Amino acid sequence: MTETTDLRAKQPRFRGLEAGHRACQGCGEALAARLVTEAAGPDVILTNATGCLEVFSTAWPQSAWRVPWLHSLFENSAAIASGVEAALKAQGRRTKVIAQGGDGGTFDIGFQALSGMLERMHNVLYVCYDNEAYMNTGIQRSSSTPHAAMTTTSPPGKARMGKRHMKKDLLSIIAAHHIPYAASASVAYPQDLRRKVRRAMEIDGPTFLLVHSPCPLGWGHDGTLTIEVARLAVQTGLFPLVELERGEVASVMPLRRPVPVAEYLQRQTRFRHLFADGDHRAREEREHLQALADYNIERYGLMGDGDDPFDSEGADTIRRGGPART
Amino acid sequence: MPVTMTKGAFAKAGTSLAFKTGTWRSARPVHVHAAAPCHRACPAGEDQQAWLARMQEGRPREAWESLVAANPLPAVTGRVCPHPCESACNRGKLDAPIAIHALERWLGDEAIRNGWTYPIPTGQPRKERVAVVGAGPAGLSAAYHLVRRHYNVVLFDSMPEAGGLLRSAIPPTRLPRDVLDKELSRLLALGIEFRPRTALGRDVSLDELRNEFDAVFLGVGAGKSRHWDVDGAVPADLHEGLHLLKEWLQVGALPMPKAVAIHGGGNTAVDLARVMKRAGVPEVHLITASGLPGPDTEPDDVLNVVPREFEQAVEEGVKFYPHRTINRLIMRGSKVVGVEMVRLKKLPGANGRKTRVAFEGTETVLHVDMVVPAIGEVVDPAGVEALLHGKDYFPADRFGRLDGQAGIFVGGDARAWVKGYPNGTVTAAVGDGRRAAEAIDAFLSGRAPVEEERPPIPYEALNLAYYEPSTRIELPTLALERRNDSDEIEGGPTAAQAAAEADRCFSCGNCLACDNCWTLCPDNAVIKTVETASDGSHYVFDLEYCKGCGLCAHECPCGFIAMEAEAE
Ligand SMILES: Cc1cc2nc3c(=O)[nH]c(=O)nc-3n(C[C@H](O)[C@H](O)[C@H](O)COP(=O)(O)OP(=O)(O)OC[C@H]3O[C@@H](n4cnc5c(N)ncnc54)[C@H](O)[C@@H]3O)c2cc1C
Ligand SMILES: Cc1ncc(C[n+]2csc(CCOP(=O)(O)OP(=O)(O)O)c2C)c(N)n1
Ligand code: SF4
Ligand code: SF4
Ligand code: SF4
Ligand code: SF4
Ligand SMILES: [Mg+2]
Repeated sequence: MTETTDLRAKQPRFRGLEAGHRACQGCGEALAARLVTEAAGPDVILTNATGCLEVFSTAWPQSAWRVPWLHSLFENSAAIASGVEAALKAQGRRTKVIAQGGDGGTFDIGFQALSGMLERMHNVLYVCYDNEAYMNTGIQRSSSTPHAAMTTTSPPGKARMGKRHMKKDLLSIIAAHHIPYAASASVAYPQDLRRKVRRAMEIDGPTFLLVHSPCPLGWGHDGTLTIEVARLAVQTGLFPLVELERGEVASVMPLRRPVPVAEYLQRQTRFRHLFADGDHRAREEREHLQALADYNIERYGLMGDGDDPFDSEGADTIRRGGPART
Repeated sequence: MPVTMTKGAFAKAGTSLAFKTGTWRSARPVHVHAAAPCHRACPAGEDQQAWLARMQEGRPREAWESLVAANPLPAVTGRVCPHPCESACNRGKLDAPIAIHALERWLGDEAIRNGWTYPIPTGQPRKERVAVVGAGPAGLSAAYHLVRRHYNVVLFDSMPEAGGLLRSAIPPTRLPRDVLDKELSRLLALGIEFRPRTALGRDVSLDELRNEFDAVFLGVGAGKSRHWDVDGAVPADLHEGLHLLKEWLQVGALPMPKAVAIHGGGNTAVDLARVMKRAGVPEVHLITASGLPGPDTEPDDVLNVVPREFEQAVEEGVKFYPHRTINRLIMRGSKVVGVEMVRLKKLPGANGRKTRVAFEGTETVLHVDMVVPAIGEVVDPAGVEALLHGKDYFPADRFGRLDGQAGIFVGGDARAWVKGYPNGTVTAAVGDGRRAAEAIDAFLSGRAPVEEERPPIPYEALNLAYYEPSTRIELPTLALERRNDSDEIEGGPTAAQAAAEADRCFSCGNCLACDNCWTLCPDNAVIKTVETASDGSHYVFDLEYCKGCGLCAHECPCGFIAMEAEAE
């Protein structure tokens, strides 16, 4: 037993996802799952769709999870969560079920299972770790991949500049299910993320959390920059942080100073072609993405009036001894 | 940890710990205690970051104790130091520097008000005796730091009271004498044997000190005015600026000309100008070769006073003539009736060294009936001729050591300029005293003196995303019409203001226990050892699992984490 083993055990926080998992260096998804399970606490049962999180956390015969965890298929995380929840209910137990999936497993192949789970009003928190492509199988585009991003199945070339289509507006579809609570969050704002997990955990009924989770490998940025890239996604307006109650927008994280999208795009090789010299489409697509950000800002009313301690600049402020606001 | 693998379709919780992802790493995170720029810039050697941290923890007494580990005179320096620390403060690049001097002053005043005693580190008493000559800030600091090291110290001064220029020259409107008295009496009460009215060269000789003591520190200041004339001409009733100030402080006498030209660009010139103006001299002109404080003035060319002193002098009606010198005295008989000024500037010459170049054709005349030189002072050689060799100052190194004079140490205004260690201020004298105490201790212990030198941390190494803009505190200033020759002009902060100002500090280069690394490591490879931490001692990297992604280093607000390449 090493010295750190002892210290590790004595830490003043619950750990749901332990070290030793095989995620890439700086993986946003590993961080997101760590934060979600820490905030949720030990009285949970997790399900997991196939994907990076499932694969890197459970290299047989080991598991990085410190809570009960089930994996069946790519498409059915919500379905097995529904079943687990029904069984717990039959036993009269109050353990919370959390279903997890990547964007592929949520926006695409697991979508109907998710819709059914929400429609049947299961007491499950569904967390989608949105890294905007099928990362585990080699970076294929999903319906969550942003417009103009390069993936192995949306390569930029003569015909088009990366992905042809728009990022699916999943939150609006979730909203249409009229569930008690749905929200988007980001690894760049851990206090906000934890608060949203706690809020969802308190609710008896279906809840949904979309967590923006940069993938250094698939997005083409250094693992060092995971948080910076995630923060810029929020600050540009490309990934708005919002909370929906019964489908209505109940609150948003205001932007103190919207950052130009180029700041975000420049840091990722998946958008490298948008800075190609002498290709007029590059400029066009950059303007397109800026327009999409501006659209989000307008649609969700993201522009704050004056400095707000919980806006995009204030929400991650620290002081001696921890976050300034929790 | 022994891991039991379970046969079957599931694994026990947390068994991934058997897999040491640390082997993936090509660089490892390390904690680096870099120096904050404020610390690097402080001539007294204070670690402002460290004491501001104690302030942020709501522990002002510990803040003061940390401060006085370097500088025993915070109530004084908080009032008179030109605070180069604030010019260097990283926060200045975001909005406005921390008002370090105001917090230093507040701590000094709190210590006086609450009767806090200087903490003396435990240690074995030393039998050696050290003589300290001069009870100005240099000598007081040397004596204090020697007492902290448990030496027997005898402090000599030719004056009846301790303080040096703090008492004899700095006006009480900037340094109230009750503050000075309280700060110094506590210091002297630490077990320093003080022998006032005892002058080296008159009452005791250097040889006697050498015989009686194991080491001697000379903090005698620069008490003799520099020779001044204009092309050989001097007015019959010439009075030097420092002399006038001292006389005014001691006996309240001040000449009352109709118009005076004060020649000089330092504290003596500006203080005297303000004192004369406030006393009712109708016209006070200050002629200086330096430029005025402002963004366009180069740091080596600026008036050598705290910028607020200059601003207040202007408010009070002192007229400044920057980049000028006196070309000619206009005399009627042996009486001055005016001065001829000419514009000049410090410009690099053929050898690259800056020299003053006067510009022909820019001559102007001022009608004055008095001219006062305040162009600086040199060491009074009486009693120390053998060490001075006809020079203006002692050629000592930064530790105060004099070539070929083992056991003799010098500091403060008496020492010649050393690159990187400018003197001429109270804080520089305090720093000299501290370094000399180390050198004396080293000398008496048969080792080489050391000074801690940590690399400084630049603004660019901080992650500004985690700090919010905030406004610097405003300090109360006595209204113009209420200023007199005794009441302090600048006020100190309230306790609430002091706390709020301390909270603005970035904690440059030193962990502020924000938890970012612990919160953001995707690999659970940062371990926190206590529930509520306040510094970096409570975070440990678990290198068995750290993959070396560098995320924690990037997200550390204060630059406390660096990535270090692993050996191949
Ligand atoms: C008018 C004025 C205003 C100033 N304002 C500021 C300011 O705002 N901020 C700032 O940082 N600095 C200021 N200074 C400069 C500052 O006061 C000096 O740099 C500082 O006091 C130097 O400290 P010291 O201990 O080396 O010398 P001093 O303060 O000069 O002390 C020397 C001591 O040695 C004693 N002594 C001298 N010769 C002998 C001897 N032969 N035997 C025994 N004792 C002897 C003297 O009596 C004196 O007490 C000012 C100076 C002046 C003149
Ligand atoms: C039915 C089915 N089709 C395809 C796969 C292969 N597959 C496994 S994971 C994955 C992609 C996962 O993408 P996502 O859900 O976004 O998770 P990520 O790896 O990006 O975290 C695919 C296509 C599968 N396991 N099952
Ligand atoms: S590919 Fe991306 S999501 Fe998958 S482990 Fe690596 S960084 Fe994480
Ligand atoms: S912010 Fe604090 S630690 Fe940094 S330079 Fe300023 S006073 Fe020093
Ligand atoms: S974030 Fe974690 S894994 Fe990455 S370098 Fe820091 S301690 Fe290592
Ligand atoms: S990230 Fe925060 S807690 Fe970690 S070393 Fe830096 S200042 Fe300390
Ligand atoms: Mg994905």
